[in-house]
Amino acid sequence: MPAFQLTVNGRQRSVDADPGTPLLWILRDNLGLTGTKFGCGVGLCGSCTVHQNGKAVRACQVPLQEAAGTAVVTIEGLAPRGLHPVQRAWIEEDVAQCGYCQPGMIMSATALLADHPHPTDAQIDTVIGGHICRCGSYPRIRKAIHRAAKGGVR
Amino acid sequence: MTSRREFLKIAGSAGAGLVLGLRLQGKTRPGTPVEPMFHPNAYLAIRPDGSALLTVPKSEMGQGVRTALPMVIAEELDLDWSRVELRQAMPGPEFQDLGTGGSTSVSTTWMILRKAGAAAREMLVAAAAQSWGVPPDQCHTGKGTVFGPGGRKAGYAELAEAAARQPVPKAPRLKEPADFRLLGRPTRRLDSPKIVAGKPLFGLDVRRPGQRFVAVLRCPVVGGTPKAWDASKALAVRGVRAVVQVPTGLAVVAEGTWPALQGREALAATVTWDEGPNAAFNSRDLENQMRSALQGPADPARKAGAAAPALAASARVLEAEYAFPFQAHTPMEPMNATAEVRSDGATLWMGTQNPNAAQVRAAAAAGVEPGRMAVNVTLLGGGFGRRSGTDFSTEAVQVAKAAGPGPIQVVWDRSDDIRHDQFHPATLHHLKAGLDGRGRIAAWSHHIAGGAVLRSWLEGQKSPGQAETEANGAWDIPYDIPALDIAFAEVQVPVPLGWWRAIEIVPNVFARECFLDEVAHATGKDPLALRLELLGGRGRVKLGGEEVDIARLRRVLELAAEKAGWGRKLPPGHGLGLACHAYDRRTYMAEVAEVSVAKGQLRVHKVVAAVDCGIVLNPEGLAGQVEGGVAWGVSALFSQITFEKGRTVQENFDTFPVLRSPEMPQVEVHTIASLEAPSGMGEPPVPVCLPAVLNAVYAATGKRLRRLPILPADLA
Repeated sequence: MPAFQLTVNGRQRSVDADPGTPLLWILRDNLGLTGTKFGCGVGLCGSCTVHQNGKAVRACQVPLQEAAGTAVVTIEGLAPRGLHPVQRAWIEEDVAQCGYCQPGMIMSATALLADHPHPTDAQIDTVIGGHICRCGSYPRIRKAIHRAAKGGVR
Repeated sequence: MTSRREFLKIAGSAGAGLVLGLRLQGKTRPGTPVEPMFHPNAYLAIRPDGSALLTVPKSEMGQGVRTALPMVIAEELDLDWSRVELRQAMPGPEFQDLGTGGSTSVSTTWMILRKAGAAAREMLVAAAAQSWGVPPDQCHTGKGTVFGPGGRKAGYAELAEAAARQPVPKAPRLKEPADFRLLGRPTRRLDSPKIVAGKPLFGLDVRRPGQRFVAVLRCPVVGGTPKAWDASKALAVRGVRAVVQVPTGLAVVAEGTWPALQGREALAATVTWDEGPNAAFNSRDLENQMRSALQGPADPARKAGAAAPALAASARVLEAEYAFPFQAHTPMEPMNATAEVRSDGATLWMGTQNPNAAQVRAAAAAGVEPGRMAVNVTLLGGGFGRRSGTDFSTEAVQVAKAAGPGPIQVVWDRSDDIRHDQFHPATLHHLKAGLDGRGRIAAWSHHIAGGAVLRSWLEGQKSPGQAETEANGAWDIPYDIPALDIAFAEVQVPVPLGWWRAIEIVPNVFARECFLDEVAHATGKDPLALRLELLGGRGRVKLGGEEVDIARLRRVLELAAEKAGWGRKLPPGHGLGLACHAYDRRTYMAEVAEVSVAKGQLRVHKVVAAVDCGIVLNPEGLAGQVEGGVAWGVSALFSQITFEKGRTVQENFDTFPVLRSPEMPQVEVHTIASLEAPSGMGEPPVPVCLPAVLNAVYAATGKRLRRLPILPADLA
């Protein structure tokens, strides 16, 4: 079986796996990047959100053969050194409770801010509304996104 | 303090393998550096570089114990908070009570941790005082340093050896709350940097060398077993290594999670099930059984006065039936556990709220002594009571044993997680209020029918305290009513039941506080005024074997109402509703919800909460728990688990919807400053949330909703 090539967090990776394997499991199991989380497997919760060629996507819905040849960024690769401003805002607003859904939230938030540097609450709701948090961190997520926006985030 | 612990106050000898946490298991992990430390008790160690290693004896599921509990030690020990590192406790002889739940983490460890920190501080001060030749009471501490007269100072690391030679004080002096410098200040969660960086923190992130991944095919009907199957289809899937049978079903063992899930899907197509005795279990029949049970005898939870004759003599009797459905937990991290069984012992890695029980049961399954069953507790991607179950860890050990040498990780997908939950049971409530000629409540009856969580927890045993447990929130009604009849009529259900955030207190307080509002409206009284009248000017009252301070409940009710602007005029379609409760007779809460209903859609705009939970350790954490509890409560208004043909109808978030960001109300938290012992915040915000919202719906629409979940037709 030929291997699939894809770039993950700036590194060329070669993966030999079934072409239908969702990117989520390639990241977590084949590449050892467990920052991207499994929550539902059917694209409803957003826990598995990563960036593919700059766009936020649900890794559980991207089969390996569609990930091949693309550039993927995961939570681990968001900031090459230190913390991304969004990650810093998340810490400052004390957003996380259990924390499990937060990598996905952060990946969606960074993608939103890239397109809308000063998003409205409605724009935030549209994006974060596609995610699920069972701990009730939603109000703090909104505050953290506004905080990151104020700080000038790209 | 044990004599062993007193003897081992300095850990430093590689031969003794005395690295904190590992020596508790009698093993040294290879490659772990051993360093000399001041280690006067199981909870804290000062390292040579001056940093403090604090051991957390409760599981972190987002409720903030890994910040709050270290704050307690750091306060009494006067540590430099910026130099604190955490270690999660493992079950064993030194940690026999790691069980996390019931909003008891702070209340049960508060004095233990204070004393641990204070004793260590006194030993450090004694060491410094001796070396300086000054009396200890001329020294003080701050930020990991002892300060003495004449500008003398010494860091804790410098004092470690001398401190370890001091006697361990049996009754160390604790700080006065007025002297707290850390406790009571908003403090950010210590784990946040690792969380936002996507570090491997959760059970599902565990990766052991040679680890295989497992998906277990379980009969969708509880109690069902596989009769016949063809493993070859699963084995033909690339990456699948084996199919083994375990008590819970058929385990597909693979080199990755996806191959395991794919293999399981292939296997599922070949299985003939013996669905067992529960194949006909369904929600409709259960409701009929509950309604019948309500007409029959029930186990009394509380009796006061003579309710039956008082009701019979009443000028007017109001009655209503309330219904609360089965609920699922659906923490964002589905159940999972990683296990390895060897000839010399076994190891588990997982998020669990119940490490000690998990250890004992897993040891039995592994065929090893509990002392050789190491349980590593990770962060929990949500607990909510589900992770108090030991089913998923025992299963993982059974799989590890059957799957041959090496570690395995059993992964539950979302369908497994919902289908094989330990459910919150459905209940039916029958309430009656007997009013005298002046419209005052002379008698109150609240009978509850449904499955008993406690019996499921006790594996089929009926505890003498069952009725009182299942009627918690109903029997401890805080209002001054002369005749009470609170009872529980058990209906056996065949599915596993478990603790779901705030447990039976949620449905019981929902029914109680909504029905009380019905009485208010039927007698022309304002719901706030009626509650204040019924609470009266009482102070401490006896409720069952405990004491409740009615004045504290009154205060939070008044505060919530004031802050919410109770009584103000609202636009049409808008309404305010309130509810209050002394949660488990220890944390006092009131919430006022503001809602609007338009075109059959309910919007919860805001919840104003007032809370008295004793001393507040971390206001930031407290606010998070109120926000989270409100989110949990509002979410529960719209979801349910139902059963047909012995299995859940719901399998994922499409059919079991949970609260999303656009629906989240604004939450405003007001806290009563208190010096009482801390009484818990994980669950108290939940029970008063649901009736506050439903009472607001009535105020907004005139529609009285008595059944959950709210369906579109209810508000049309």
